Amino acid sequence: MRKGRGFAVYCAGLFSFLYLPLAVMFVFSFNDARRNVVWRGFTLKWYKSLFQNAEMMDAMLTSLELALAAAAIAAVIGMLASYAMVKHKAFRGRGAYDSLLNVPLMMPEVALGVGILTFLVRAGYELDFTALAFSHALICLPYTVAAVRARLISLQESSLEDAAMDLGATEWQAFVKVTLPLAMPAIISGALLSFTVSFQDFVTSFFVAGIGIVTMPIKIYSMIKFGVTPEINALSVCLLLATFLLIGLNAAFAVRPDEASRH
Amino acid sequence: MNRALSWLLSGRRPLASHLLLAPASLWLICFLVIPAAGLIVTSFAKNGPYGVVIWEFGFQNYARAFDPKYLPVLFRTLGFAGATTALCLILGYPLAYFLTFYAGRWRNALLVGLMVPFWSSCLVAYYSWMIVLGKEGLINATLMRLGVLSEPIGFLYTPFAILLGLVYFYLPFTVLPLYASLDKVPRSVIEAAYDLGAGRWTAFWKVTLPLSLPGVVAGCVLTFIPCLGDFLTVEILGGPRYYLLGNLISNQFMMAQDWPFGSALTALLLAGLVGGLWLYQRWEKA
Repeated sequence: MRKGRGFAVYCAGLFSFLYLPLAVMFVFSFNDARRNVVWRGFTLKWYKSLFQNAEMMDAMLTSLELALAAAAIAAVIGMLASYAMVKHKAFRGRGAYDSLLNVPLMMPEVALGVGILTFLVRAGYELDFTALAFSHALICLPYTVAAVRARLISLQESSLEDAAMDLGATEWQAFVKVTLPLAMPAIISGALLSFTVSFQDFVTSFFVAGIGIVTMPIKIYSMIKFGVTPEINALSVCLLLATFLLIGLNAAFAVRPDEASRH
Repeated sequence: MNRALSWLLSGRRPLASHLLLAPASLWLICFLVIPAAGLIVTSFAKNGPYGVVIWEFGFQNYARAFDPKYLPVLFRTLGFAGATTALCLILGYPLAYFLTFYAGRWRNALLVGLMVPFWSSCLVAYYSWMIVLGKEGLINATLMRLGVLSEPIGFLYTPFAILLGLVYFYLPFTVLPLYASLDKVPRSVIEAAYDLGAGRWTAFWKVTLPLSLPGVVAGCVLTFIPCLGDFLTVEILGGPRYYLLGNLISNQFMMAQDWPFGSALTALLLAGLVGGLWLYQRWEKA
């Protein structure tokens, strides 16, 4: 396995390329120096001033609310759509729905952003929180659909719902008592992914957010552009830790293929 | 109530399916189809004073996109997307190979680890590159302390920084399809090549690499196409001298208030996307 070791070293190098900047930022968010990257000693003062800064706390709160709203909308409409796509027998227009549901994934975010911006402005709609949350729900939709669909397909093979109906349950009862609980891990996993997508989204928010709406990424961006303060490191670390936590949670809920077929 | 819901869920009628899909369709139509159609219509209109759109139709915005002032931006975008794709492929193939054949029980953890920088905010990742590459950044500060440099090197706002950012962000887009297709190569075929006397290199060149070609193409498409519309990399690491198509589009809407021209540029970007996917599908079927 000499050859395998060479590969391992190469991959360790590549992974350090991926993680080095994040680690540097993490370390320097505790550095007691205003501008310099030279280490001047450990401090928590940037975090302290971050949590005392009303603007930044507002940005955090806005991002949380936004991600919650977007993930909730995407979970509900994605669940309904995946159910019809998987459980219903073939109907006319299914192929069109199928490809349309994946378009938000491929669409460049710049195109999506300016498209929604011009549409809303022309329609005379003020760019408010609702508009942004609805736009985020669209970006999140493909992730929910992918997660829930995979789960429903594997449940279909186990035909537990058919068994419930053979025993006298109506479709609605079978859905509430069998399908929904079994699909729940996938719904949660999809919602967590959606939450992550919305929480860290910058490009769509950059175009669609009106003047009064400042999310965490928008705040970070304006701090990068108009005067870097050390609090930005602390704020970035918070955003980063939140996404790490969400990915970890998602890994716990995600349905592994081997597990799905066991039912 | 119970009966109505059961009817909806059973899907014996197409109407029930359409009703369940109605909320998702509403979203797709309002936030995707209508905005895209609106952009395409606007791309043929004229720009009036103070950003007023005049509805006289013509191809002038497209002609303007190809005039010598903006043509370099299009070429630069294609160049950066191409270079990023090539670099990601060269860097990513050995990684995908390692994940498939050598990673063993570490494989899943490494796959998740590969995705984490992608899931975490791109903005934050680029900002941390600024800390590393900046004039007072980690690399310059270290080199100057060691006495290697007397003046800091301006890594930021150069093509190098843009390429680094693009490769950093899009690497997983290349590696995951590569991994998926390498994983599908039957081990027995590779072993058969060894049994027939092929060495490691011959087996790789004649068996593994050709069989992983679908992943190579998918990885290239999935890297190249999003690169064309990239906006944030130049915004943070690139500075104003090397702006790409995405930044040009953004400027038309956020600063110049020239919606028709911006729409035409967006339409070109979408045409690139559709064309790329169409070519890919044709290749896949052939």
